[in-house]
Amino acid sequence: MNFKENILLALAGLKANKMRAFLTMLGIIIGISSVIMITTMGTIVEKGLAGVVTDLGVNNLVEIFIRQKEDSVRTTIEESDMFSDEIIEQLMTRFSGELQYIAIQQSVGGGTMRFNREDINMTVYGYNSDFIHIFSTDLLRGRYINEKDIQGQKSVCVIPDDLALKLYGSPENAIGEILSMNVAGGVKEFAVVGVYKYKQSAFGGVFSRNYDIHIPITTARKMINASPYYSWVDFITYEDVDVIKFSEEFGEYVNERYYKDNNSYEVMCYTMAEQLTSISQYVGIIQGVLSIIAGISLLVGGIGVMNIMLVSVTERTREIGVRKALGAPNSAIRIQFIVESVIICAIGGLIGIIAGVLLGNLGGLLFDTSAVPSVGAIVIAVSFSMAIGIFFGYYPANRAAKLDPIEALRYE
Amino acid sequence: MSIDKKAIIKMDSIYKRFYIGTPNELEILHGLSFDVPDGEFVSIVGASGSGKSTLMNIIGALDKATEGNYHLGGTNISLLNDRELSEIRNKKIGFVFQTFNLIARTTALKNVELPMLYAGMGSKERIKRAKELLELVEMSDRAMHMPNELSGGQKQRIAIARSMANNPSIILADEPTGALDSKTGHLVMDIFHKLHKEQGKTIVLITHNQKLAAETDRIITLSDGNIVSDEKMSGNAVYTLNETVKEEKPETESHDESVILTDKTSGKDGQ
Repeated sequence: MNFKENILLALAGLKANKMRAFLTMLGIIIGISSVIMITTMGTIVEKGLAGVVTDLGVNNLVEIFIRQKEDSVRTTIEESDMFSDEIIEQLMTRFSGELQYIAIQQSVGGGTMRFNREDINMTVYGYNSDFIHIFSTDLLRGRYINEKDIQGQKSVCVIPDDLALKLYGSPENAIGEILSMNVAGGVKEFAVVGVYKYKQSAFGGVFSRNYDIHIPITTARKMINASPYYSWVDFITYEDVDVIKFSEEFGEYVNERYYKDNNSYEVMCYTMAEQLTSISQYVGIIQGVLSIIAGISLLVGGIGVMNIMLVSVTERTREIGVRKALGAPNSAIRIQFIVESVIICAIGGLIGIIAGVLLGNLGGLLFDTSAVPSVGAIVIAVSFSMAIGIFFGYYPANRAAKLDPIEALRYE
Repeated sequence: MSIDKKAIIKMDSIYKRFYIGTPNELEILHGLSFDVPDGEFVSIVGASGSGKSTLMNIIGALDKATEGNYHLGGTNISLLNDRELSEIRNKKIGFVFQTFNLIARTTALKNVELPMLYAGMGSKERIKRAKELLELVEMSDRAMHMPNELSGGQKQRIAIARSMANNPSIILADEPTGALDSKTGHLVMDIFHKLHKEQGKTIVLITHNQKLAAETDRIITLSDGNIVSDEKMSGNAVYTLNETVKEEKPETESHDESVILTDKTSGKDGQ
């Protein structure tokens, strides 16, 4: 008796009791689909987090900021507590082997303009020339803010592509145009020098579009009379630098060098990499707990399969007796029932995978992304459900195999 | 049947005891000995409790004797393990049961294929042989029918075809007409006679119907676990192929099984 014949035999057995086979499968379907759903959603969350990293630019971002000491004397921040251009310059020189770029910014605030009887909302930021590297913004046309703009406090701006499209018809046409807006208490005009590609963030798309306009940081400072001191600064290290380790050394150095005598403030370093690692860990723990619960439902499904197989063996006692009288060895009877239980579980597993992927992606809609489990995950899930079939099918099958043919033939 | 033919069944002091907890020991068969020569159509008769079923189980290799040797075609069955017993049942013995015992939800053809399936025969060969066998019992047109679509007589003919699947040494028929009306029962008996005459099959018929037994070559009568008579019938004169049995009365007085059941649907397959 070959494998194909065993499968055909098992399918015939299942066909005879469709409803029952389906209900038995349901346990496996629920178990497998919840496992797959959880892994799919896990993949989606991970993808979402990975998206955040690329959006915000970088794994090798080190942010340094000032904070109050525990035994702080003052609660107000003075310019001497903050980073100056001079300190930044010194740090860049001191750590020239590690630090690649620096990003400083000055927020100006909201700006508006009226276009085709529509109010367009913008947010204006002053940036330095390195900034483009930090947010890994793709420049589509023109150029980014450069040192000359900053030195000369020029009224130039870099705008997102969708705004360029809206106002000037295309990114090409935008270059050289004058953007006039109401900002910081007056109408200001800026020459458009560049157009960057707007990227929707992984968690965005909920609010109405607010365009970010980049201008030179010096221009921004002048507009709102801000002083060149910073309470936080972003650095980008070279790719091969271990950011988490470097950020510790860096923080210690800055505290030692500049804040030793400051009785109220010190600095702290923060890395995106560290944050993401801990978020991933939390997600992993939640996923693990949910997987255990899903695993329990799979176990319950498996017990259901065993139960039904026991019923099936009892019901077919006489048939088993006849098969034995006709020369079926115990092994053939055992295989017949195991194959039947494996088929229930395999079909249930396949349906469960499909349902799990669909449900998982339904949850994934929240993150505006989708995920399909890898072939490996599917193979593991199907093999696992088949293993359940073997495990929970073995006992009933063995019971069938060991029936005494005389007793079985006599069974009513 | 000539006496000098080689014995296919050799029973040598067969005892069967059941141990239902010491010291209770129930002896069912008290040392039976008999031979069945190749090609004989023998009937074993006896009332309920005579040990008939126990003997049948031993002949059918479903059970082993507690003591004594049973040789089937030269093989000492008493020495075999479970696996070897199932092979003997598969290749050497063809079972025909009172209640047909066809596998439900499986076509007549598949039922006939079953013993060949367990024998490991290839699918093409199997189907070919199964079709030939259905032809032999005149059931070719019902090959694709399910057992529940067939009358009792038709089912039994399928079962006989199935018993012949692996060309066994003996056919062991346990009350094959017991669930059939007399007319259908007789048609089934016709098939056994045909197999016996045309193919020289050794057939062991277990029955308590004396009239059926009288159609065979030899009658072994059991009572309380002993052979009380073993008589050869005078050739096959008792039986002629197209004889119609008008009525069948229970020959043994004692038990309900001897009442011939009337199968209403079986009238159709009277041909």
